[in-house]
Amino acid sequence: MIQITLFKNDLKQIVRDPIMTLLLLAPLLLIVVFELLEFFLVPYLAAEVGFDMTPWFSYVLAFVLLMNSGMLGIVTGFMMLDERDGNISQLLEVTPLGRIGYLANRLIFASTLSIIYALIGIAVFKWPNLPFFSIILLSVLSAFYTAIIGLLIFSGAEDKVKGLTFAKGLNTLVLFAFTDLFALPWLTFLSWVFPPYWLSLIIKTPQSLLVITLAIIVHMIWLGVLIFRYSKREA
Amino acid sequence: MRLLHAVLADIRFQLKHGFYLVYAIITVMYLIILSFLAENILSVALPLIVFSDPSVLGLFFIGGIILMEKGQGVLMVLVVSPLRTSEYILSKVLSLTIVSVLAALAITWFSNYPTVNWWLLLVATILTSGIFTLLGIMINAGCNTVNQYMLRTIPYMLLFILPCFALLGFPYSEFFVIIPSVAALKLMLGAYHGISGFETAALVIYLFAINYILLKLAVTTFEKRIVYQD
Repeated sequence: MIQITLFKNDLKQIVRDPIMTLLLLAPLLLIVVFELLEFFLVPYLAAEVGFDMTPWFSYVLAFVLLMNSGMLGIVTGFMMLDERDGNISQLLEVTPLGRIGYLANRLIFASTLSIIYALIGIAVFKWPNLPFFSIILLSVLSAFYTAIIGLLIFSGAEDKVKGLTFAKGLNTLVLFAFTDLFALPWLTFLSWVFPPYWLSLIIKTPQSLLVITLAIIVHMIWLGVLIFRYSKREA
Repeated sequence: MRLLHAVLADIRFQLKHGFYLVYAIITVMYLIILSFLAENILSVALPLIVFSDPSVLGLFFIGGIILMEKGQGVLMVLVVSPLRTSEYILSKVLSLTIVSVLAALAITWFSNYPTVNWWLLLVATILTSGIFTLLGIMINAGCNTVNQYMLRTIPYMLLFILPCFALLGFPYSEFFVIIPSVAALKLMLGAYHGISGFETAALVIYLFAINYILLKLAVTTFEKRIVYQD
């Protein structure tokens, strides 16, 4: 009940604050930009340079999903950092909501949005080879990724500037979605540890049970470790 | 002397906050990507990467730096300290420019691009970095959170980045060079592809003037809207 009340309050806060509304709608802008690029740039490249983008669409979709969920994670991370600086998080932690309740409230909100934007992204790109199960899985893993990025910024950064440094560094994680293209064994091996690699792999091989299982395990480990670290550190 | 001490303090702060480490990682990432590009694509991608990331990093970081210093009361101390506002701002610009220059030079050096005018690359990076950091200081006025700052940078980024497509070339596109970002990109491209002496001089003088005007504006905005919050 407390969670629902806080969730409603968050929605009110976001609707009242135009900046938050715009920030949370920013992923839609990204989807529109990429759709426009698909519409105009792909035929242009094919006609002018003879470059066929079709084989790379799976990477483009992975990039859009990761950018959207990463963006929401960064926004959530900074929202929590600001709340910590303003002592709002400390205040909420001593209410019946509790420390984990506060964290869950913030992360679930952003992750729900991430699921919605992932579904919109996949629908807009009309990716033909993805079965329904994979679409749901990709949306859920995008939500996990949002939570992971938000937690990495919140629990890793002591202040806003470190948060920005983290955000900048975390953007490089997207590279791991494309490591197959570089054909560097050490880089591919390193990528196994990071969620973006698995998200990209699911899009390319949606039927592989092994890939699905490993993707879920990697995401769960990251999330589990970060939540454990947060609860231990804040305690 | 005050300025030198301020710059050194800012560099220490940036080192402590991992700016140099994160840019070392980003440089390695770009080098991996660039190493897979054919030379004709590299000639376009390399200047664009140097222009769009290391040169613009000041805009990304300055918002958080000022907000944090505001929160810690550093700006209140600044009012009663001998350090002038212009020196405080210059110190931020110079220290962030050092990170930009190091990243830009490292990315270019390790990319093994054959024809680079290193002096011009250095000047182009310094002038571009100055513009974007000073712009960030002005955008920061009135912001209370990093999220607010990041959102406010979006229209400015669009305003500065979209006209850069003018360099692809279309009727009257040469007039877009009046926009500082387009002039900066033109100079940056010149460092890799070659540019006439006259054009270099004109662009450098123009970008230097823009930096000077932005510095004056940033000092006024900073004093009025950030320190005293009129």
